[in-house]
This record gives sequence, C-alpha cells and structure tokens, in this order.
Amino acid sequence: MTTFALDTSTPSPSLALIRGDVVVATLRLDATPRAGRRVMMGAHELFTSSGVPVTDVDRVVVGVGPGAFTGVRVGISTALGLAQALGCEVTGAVSAEAAARGIAAVAPPGAVLVPASDARRGELFAAAYRAAPGRALEELLEPCAIAPEALGARVAELCEAADAPALAAGDGAAALAPHLPGGASVAPEGSPAHLLDAVHLVACVDAGNGVPARPVYARLPDAEVNRLRALGAAT
Amino acid sequence: MIGGPVLAVETSCDESAAAVVQGRDVRSSVVASQADLHAPYGGVVPEVAARHHLGTINAVIDEALERAGVRADNLAAVAVTQRPGLIGALLVGVSTARAFAYARGLPMVMVDHLHGHIAAAWLNPVALDPPFVSLVASGGHTRLDLVRDLAAPQLLGETIDDAAGEALDKGARLLGLGYPGGPALERLAEGGDRAEHAFPVALGGAGVRDFSFAGVKTSLLYAVRGRDPGDAERADLAASYQEAVVRPLAERLVAAALEHGVPAVALGGGVAANGRLRTLVAERAAAAGLRVAIPDRALCTDNAAMIGAAAQFRPLTPWPEFVSFDAAPDASPAGVGA
Ligand SMILES: [Zn+2]
Repeated sequence: MTTFALDTSTPSPSLALIRGDVVVATLRLDATPRAGRRVMMGAHELFTSSGVPVTDVDRVVVGVGPGAFTGVRVGISTALGLAQALGCEVTGAVSAEAAARGIAAVAPPGAVLVPASDARRGELFAAAYRAAPGRALEELLEPCAIAPEALGARVAELCEAADAPALAAGDGAAALAPHLPGGASVAPEGSPAHLLDAVHLVACVDAGNGVPARPVYARLPDAEVNRLRALGAAT
Repeated sequence: MIGGPVLAVETSCDESAAAVVQGRDVRSSVVASQADLHAPYGGVVPEVAARHHLGTINAVIDEALERAGVRADNLAAVAVTQRPGLIGALLVGVSTARAFAYARGLPMVMVDHLHGHIAAAWLNPVALDPPFVSLVASGGHTRLDLVRDLAAPQLLGETIDDAAGEALDKGARLLGLGYPGGPALERLAEGGDRAEHAFPVALGGAGVRDFSFAGVKTSLLYAVRGRDPGDAERADLAASYQEAVVRPLAERLVAAALEHGVPAVALGGGVAANGRLRTLVAERAAAAGLRVAIPDRALCTDNAAMIGAAAQFRPLTPWPEFVSFDAAPDASPAGVGA
C-alpha cells in the first residue's frame, strides 16, 4: 500500500509518502503566507525526489483540521481531487490528533497532550488527548476554538482527573503558557512537537481513528453567527 | 483548439459546476446551485459558498464525466476558473482541478470567468463566430467587449459601481421582493408601466461606454422611502426601474456593434435571461440588421461549459508546470484572454 499524506491546516504544511510501514519521503513547506496554496508544488517535489510516481498512490490521507479555513479546504480539495482522478481511497485524520501524536513522542507517559494552534481573534484551535499504550489516542477534549484562559482551566481539570501532567505544543502554545496549571508545560522552543507531521495522520488512521475527508471547522461562518444572533434577538 | 474532451470546473461564486466540452460541443454540463443556501443571508456569503463547494464539486465532476460518457483517461485537458471571484470558492475548484490533472498527467488551462461568459455564444448550437460585440451582465459583472478574436476580447466598457444583476436584485429588495429578486422584479414589472417613473438612465462616468447603476438605485430608494406603495404603483416602479437598468445595456450593445462594423451581438450572464432586455436587444438589432446570439439560459448563468469553451482559445500548460498555479480574486489587468 502506498499512502500519500498531507496536512495544510497549520502555517507549515506537511507531506509524506509511505509504503507499507516505511516512510519513503517527507516534506515540510516553509511557514510563509499562503503556504497551503503551494501544496501541489510540494507534492510534485515529493513524488519527484522519491521516484514514486503519483499513479502508484492507492490511499490518500488528509488532515481535516481544525485550522485556518482556507488552508484546510485547499488540503482536502487536493486530496479529494487526487483520489478522484486515481480512483483510490481517501481518508481524513483530525489534524489536532495527529499533532497530539507528535507531542506524545516527547511527553512523559500518560501525559495529557494539548495541541494548540493560533485561531486568531484571541482564540486557539485546540483539543486534548491521552496516550493509551498500543491503542489509538483517547480524546479528552474535542477539537474546538477556545480562549487561552478557558483552555488553561480545562487542562487543569483534565490533569486533575487523570492525575497526570500535561504537555502543550503548536504555534498557539506560547499564548496558552501563562494560563496552564502547575504540572503542565509547553514543549521547549524548537521541539519537533510544535510542528504537525503528516506521518502522524497515517498513524491516526491506522490506529482506527480515520474520519471522512471533510473539514472540521470548529467555528461557524461569521454570517451564520450573526444570523443566529439576529434570530435569537427576535424571539 | 484542444483536440479532445476537456473537463472544465467552475467554482468562482455560488454555483459548483463541471462540464465536458469537445470543440464547440457541450457533452455535459452539471451545475449545483447554492442559491437557496444563501437566501437567508440576503446575498452570497463567501465562507458559506466555499464550504459548500467543498463536498459538492467532486460529485459534480463525476456526474459531468458520466453524463458525457467520458472516462478520465480519455480527457485531453482540465480547465478551471482561475479568476475573478470569491477567493475561498475559487481555491476549492483550482485545488481540485489541479490535483485531478496532476494525477492523470493531463495538461491544464486556467480560464478567466469573464472570458467564459464571452465564449459561451461560440458553443453549439448558437455557434457564433467573431467578429461580434458581447454584453455580459449578471449579478457580479456588467461589461461590453469587442470580439474580433476569441483569444483576446477587447473591453469596451464595464460598470463603475454595481453590476446590472445586482442593481435588479437591490431594486427588488427595495420593493420588498426578497433575494435573489431579479426574476421576481421582472414578473412584477410585467403588469406595470415602464414610462410611469422617469428614473435616471444608467450611464457611466469617465468612460464613454461605462455603466453606472448607483443613481437609478438611489432614485428608487427615494421613490419608496417612508411609503407603502400599492400593488399597481409597485408594478409601475418595478417596470420603470427595470427599464432604466436594461435599456442602456441594449442600446449600447447595438451602438457598439454599429460603431465597430461587426454583424452580430451576443448576450451572456444571468441578466441575459431578462425578457425585457432580450426584447429590446432583438428590436434594436433587427432595426440595425444585426444577428442576435443568445445561448440557452443554462449557458448564460454561471456554468462550466463556458469555461471549457474559453479554454479552447487559451494556451495549454503542460504537466507538471501548472502545479504552481494559484487562484486570484481580482480581474486580470492584462484582459480576460491574458
Ligand atoms: Zn458569472
């Protein structure tokens, strides 16, 4: 089985080509503005450098967010377009869960894993998981858009309930740091845990946590929020 | 011209569309409209549109291939609308089409949406050949082009504020007709007297052939503000307002054809479905001895077959050079064929 995995939900998109259990090639796009929109250039580079033709791909795995809406959509559109043309399988993986797998690699055993990315507007896209040996990650807090203070409070509750420390990472973790309880920390600067690795998307799917290749937005469109507010005001 | 079936994809606004076009023949054209989805907001919401395109466009592409009886390995190229439009919406189509073409090893053609509207009249069965003057009027655009070569239409004039369809929709809203209101306004206008109200005609500012609809809209606003006109008066207002919007379109289209000595005029865009506009163009063109070409309604409103038509007049970008192609929200400064 040849799997092409891609995630464009974060500022530095990640791509991977996996054959069986072997990671054949990976590629990370620089965190420049609109990096997600360069995903097809990255994919071509990956296929060319690895010598694996795109037509060998028989599974596409894509990160479905949450993350910047446009970035998430570009990734999923690309995955669906490839799979449609190749006539192959396409599966989603929750980007936050894949990020949590990266955090797990550097966290103490049993720790609460908190991926946090910048969601603008004073919020973070975040979730919380716990590693269970040999199994899929256990979701403790479903992916959401949340204020750093509120997330800090949730993490405190989760740590207490699990009687475990917490480790946060991602491009939103610095904003979360001041709100974390004792026993919880942010991965050191420069740690690979801050960057989502597309290889981990495939691990999520292979562990049985695959999801449909549809975006997890974690936020309504502004127009819908305003419409609901107007409806609420009217009743 | 491209020597085989072209898969065309269009997602610039609120229609998810795909088509298979071979030369002048439309082998299939599938449009999934989101109009109902945007009605509660009173207009197209970019984020809502983008969300809906994703999750719809792949099924629309499948349907287009199936109806055409064409398999992906028989395609000669993939064409997609690159600009102008809602960037989030465009990106869904561009990303999908680019990935599709990449996976099949096909060349790509990036198309300007307006070029598509202009090229629609070239498709069968209308099969209009240059030279002609084209009027494209819709909720998003209003422009007049001199087409001597379908690869390079020359812009003669465009709106400097609202688009004609937008003006009709806004007028409908002022008359309490909801969104999108153009067709409802036309129905209301049928029973009205178009000479009853002397609204200013939609003539442009700086450019001789530019259009402006802001003044007409303001006049209607003043005519109804603070009042509740009865049915008969509303019908008169609708008829007079519609006349002020569509008559200058028809007049300038015909005048431009005469000025440039071309034998035909073409209509495109959603406003081409407006009965009053069609009547005016037919009357004036007949008086001037011009051929009038109006594609079917389905080829006038946003669709992907027109993108497949324009693609025939654009350079093919070979695999894999197009991997760097991106969508753009704005009009191309170099023109629709550039
Ligand atoms: Zn249009």
